[in-house]
Order: sequence, then structure tokens, then C-alpha cells
Amino acid sequence: MASDDWVTCEESVSPSQYRGPMAARGLRAQVDSLLLQLLRDLEELEAKRAALNARVEEGWFSLSKARYAMGAKSVGPLQYASRMEPQVCVYTSEAQDGLQKVWVVRASAQTPEEVGPREAALRRRKGLSRTPEPESSPAPRDPLNWFGILVPHSLRHAQASFREGLQLAADMASLQIRIDWGRGQLRGLQGKLKQLEPESA
Amino acid sequence: MLEGAEFYFNVDHGYLEGLVRGCKASLLTQQDYINLVQCETLEDVKIHLQTTDYGNFLANETNPLTVSKIDTEMRKKLCREFEYFRNHSLEPLSTFFTYMTCSYMIDNVILLMNGALQKKSVKEILVKCHPLGRFTEMEAVNIAETPSDLFNAVLVETPLAPFFQDCMSENTLDELNIELLRNKLYKSYLEAFYKFCKNHGDVTAEIMCPILEFEADRRAFIITLNSFGTELSKDDREALYPTCGKLYPEGLRLLAQAEDFDQMRRVAEHYGVYKPLFEAVGDGSGGKTLEDVFYEREVQMNVLAFNRQFHYGVFYAYTKLKEQEMRNIVWIAECISQRHRTKINSYIPIL
Repeated sequence: MASDDWVTCEESVSPSQYRGPMAARGLRAQVDSLLLQLLRDLEELEAKRAALNARVEEGWFSLSKARYAMGAKSVGPLQYASRMEPQVCVYTSEAQDGLQKVWVVRASAQTPEEVGPREAALRRRKGLSRTPEPESSPAPRDPLNWFGILVPHSLRHAQASFREGLQLAADMASLQIRIDWGRGQLRGLQGKLKQLEPESA
Repeated sequence: MLEGAEFYFNVDHGYLEGLVRGCKASLLTQQDYINLVQCETLEDVKIHLQTTDYGNFLANETNPLTVSKIDTEMRKKLCREFEYFRNHSLEPLSTFFTYMTCSYMIDNVILLMNGALQKKSVKEILVKCHPLGRFTEMEAVNIAETPSDLFNAVLVETPLAPFFQDCMSENTLDELNIELLRNKLYKSYLEAFYKFCKNHGDVTAEIMCPILEFEADRRAFIITLNSFGTELSKDDREALYPTCGKLYPEGLRLLAQAEDFDQMRRVAEHYGVYKPLFEAVGDGSGGKTLEDVFYEREVQMNVLAFNRQFHYGVFYAYTKLKEQEMRNIVWIAECISQRHRTKINSYIPIL
């Protein structure tokens, strides 16, 4: 938690700007609200982490069920190519408050429009790196079809579980960025507070 | 065919029937399964299997032990037993064994073709092919571009050749066509096997024909269930149903029109054998799936085959029971390795 390392931080702040009990009270209010936000974010992160673990576990278990129904060698590394095109891409961008946001987009969809200022979008891919042309490339084939056209429902469940997991992973990344930023802010504010009232400790 | 197999069966096949009954007695018992379910790691599973008829079959495996390795070694053991039976068999039992291996050959051909689509090397796939379905022309399968090519160049000399009647076409082999090819080949194979057993007559026909009828109907139901929500048209679907089962012809026609699970269930309710099976299917993720219910029924029929003597069905039944045992062990091993023990008791006990 941020609270155990705020003692060691060094923040140079011009004390001339912050004087008087009003400023200290304001700062304390800010620290409180930031702390509450941080705790809310952490709780959400934990919930999402638990959900992601559950989804991934479910997905692997559904794959085992598919293997039971189809035969052990019909659902395995033999069925997919060693180089594959990604179905889903990860995009990041900077939002208005300077924070980076992460989200996943299906490769066949158009790049989503955004509100607010936008830096050059970074793209991270699984597998081959390729300049994406959303208009010209054909829709990528559903990976479910690597295992045949008539696949058991357990395989479809597995695909659905992993897809949900992807979305959760992107949300978790955004949350993690926000939490790190929040911790930094908290440290800064607590440093300023300490500067303002060194006697009242 | 002269009835009265008890007079002459043992002359040619008595030794092998005795052998297969001995092998059947060494299938895992309920107590063995209880021990396996209590294992914590795959190493424990290996130790427990050493006390059964499997013995030291995993002795040469390097660390770490994976479920895939266990499965491969079990298959090799089954293959050794099967090859022993086959090498010592006389006609017409040899033809019966050839028919049994055709289904594995079809699986291997499809595996090789899918591998060619994914640009995998032939060696990589040959290692994973089912040992019971090995044939000499296997390495050449991946060069074929169309089903006619495949037949003319590669498979014309194999036992699979007669099953290519409905499959000849000039369409290139993409995923949909490979799936259609697989199912059409299997349909022809099943119908030919059924005809062979029926013509043989005697106890073999009495035991094998109901088993093969169930297999045909099971395939029809599973194809229908898996085709919901895919690009397969209803006519295409109907062409894949084997016709040697109880559902032929009215049931298959109704099944071809089904659009969801409830409609399928209504078709099954017309048949006394299948109504209770569909009633045993749980809904959602809780209870048994249709595949589980069918596997249970298959095990029942195969165990009952051993109650009669002087027929070839014991060999078929033993192989299928051994496969179910392998599925059970792989399931338990996967539950242990994924530490997901809630459904570990979903195996189907045999003895």
C-alpha cells in the first residue's frame, strides 16, 4: 500500500504556494478522497482478477471436456498453425487526464472513435506483427474451425470463457495503470502535507 | 450361413476368444478408480497404475509427466494387444479386425489433411496418429488437393477405398469439406461394417448389429447437435447420417429438420430406446451431456456382449471398453493436473 512508503519519498515543492491551515485542510481532503478512490479501484481489481482466474480455469476445463468427447489428440497443438493471425488487438491511448487506457478490439472491426486528445496509438499483437488494414483484409477465420466444423458445445464454451477473460484482462490493465497513478499522486500529496505541517506530527 | 456357432467357432477362434476374455478381466475395477481419484499429482497416478495390469508402461517416460504422454502410452499398449489378436486371427475374423481398424484410419487421414492445411510437417503428425489406424500410404496423404486426388493417388489400395463412393468430388479440401469428407467416409464405413456383420449371421449378427445400429443413431444425434449454429445446411447434414440405425428412415428425416435441442428430444421420444437417454441429460452445465449419456449406453451394451459366447463381438466390445477406460483415466488425470476436482467423478465405471 502507498501508506507504508510515503515516509521515504522526496518531493520538492515550493512551500510558498501552500501556506496556512486552509491549504492543509484542503490537502487532507484531497488525500482522503484519493485514498478512497484507490481503495475502490483495488477492490475492483481484485474482483476482476478473481473473475479472470475463474474464466481461464473454466476455459481449460471445457477444453478437457471437449477432449473427452472428441478424442485426446483432436484438441491440441496439432490443430493450430505455429504462426497465426490475431483475432483481437490491444490498443492503448492517452485520455484527457493524462492516463493511459487499454482496450481490446476485434481485428475485423474498425478502429473505435475516441473522445478527447489522442497520442499515437500503440498496438501490441499476439503472433506476427503486421500493419493492420481494417478495410482491406478479409475477416479472420474463427479459430473454432481449426478443430472442425462440427465441434461439441464444450469447445464453444471454452472459446466464450477465454473471450470474456480477454476483456477482463484489458480492464485490469487499465485499472492497474490508474492505481499506480493514484499511488503516485497520494505520495505527492502526503509529501506536501508533511512539508506544510512538520511540527504537528 | 449355418447357425450353430458353438460347433465350429472354437476351431479357428477359440484361443483368441479365451485370450480376450482374460484381457477383459484385467480392466480397471471400481476400487482402482477410487484409488486414482484420490491421487494428488500425476506421479501418484503413475504409481497407482503400476499396481494394475498397466504395470510399468510409463517407466521410460522422461519428466515431467503429462496427460498426453499417459494417453499415448496407453494407446500403444492397446495397439500391442490388438495386433497380437489380429496376427493370430483367421478369416473371417481377420476381415472383422480390418473393419475395426478402418475407423482409426479415417481419423488418421483427416488428422493428416488438417495438418497439411495448417502447414505442419508430416513427421510431426505421424507421431500423433492413432497406432491402430496405421497404413503404409499414410505419409502421402498430405499431397492430395481434392477428394478425387486423395482417392486416386493415395487411398485406392487401402481398405478405405470402397468407402469413397459418395465422397468423390473436385472441391478443394478446406475445413468444411474435410469435415464433410470425414463424416461421409464414416457413414459408408459403418454401413459396410453393418452389412458384413448381418451377412455373417449367427451370434455375431445378434450382438454386433444392435451395437452398430446404436453407433449409427448416436452419430446422427451428435452431428445434429453440433451443427446448430454452424454453416452446415440441413440437406448437407442429412447426407451425413448413417442409414443402418433404428432412426432410418423417418427418424433421420425428422432429425434433419430439427433446429434446436428440444426438437431433437422430441424426435428421440418416438423411440423407446432413446427416450430414457434423453431424459437423463441434465440441462446447462450441471448434469450429464448427451455425449456422456451415449458413452454410458455404449459401455452397457459392450459389457453385455460378454454374456454370449462364440461370436466376434467380444473383440469389438473389449476394444471399445478399453478405450472408455483410457478416456476415464485421461479425464481423472486432467482433473488432477488442473486441480479442478469438482467433476472428477464423472468417469464411467466399467466393471
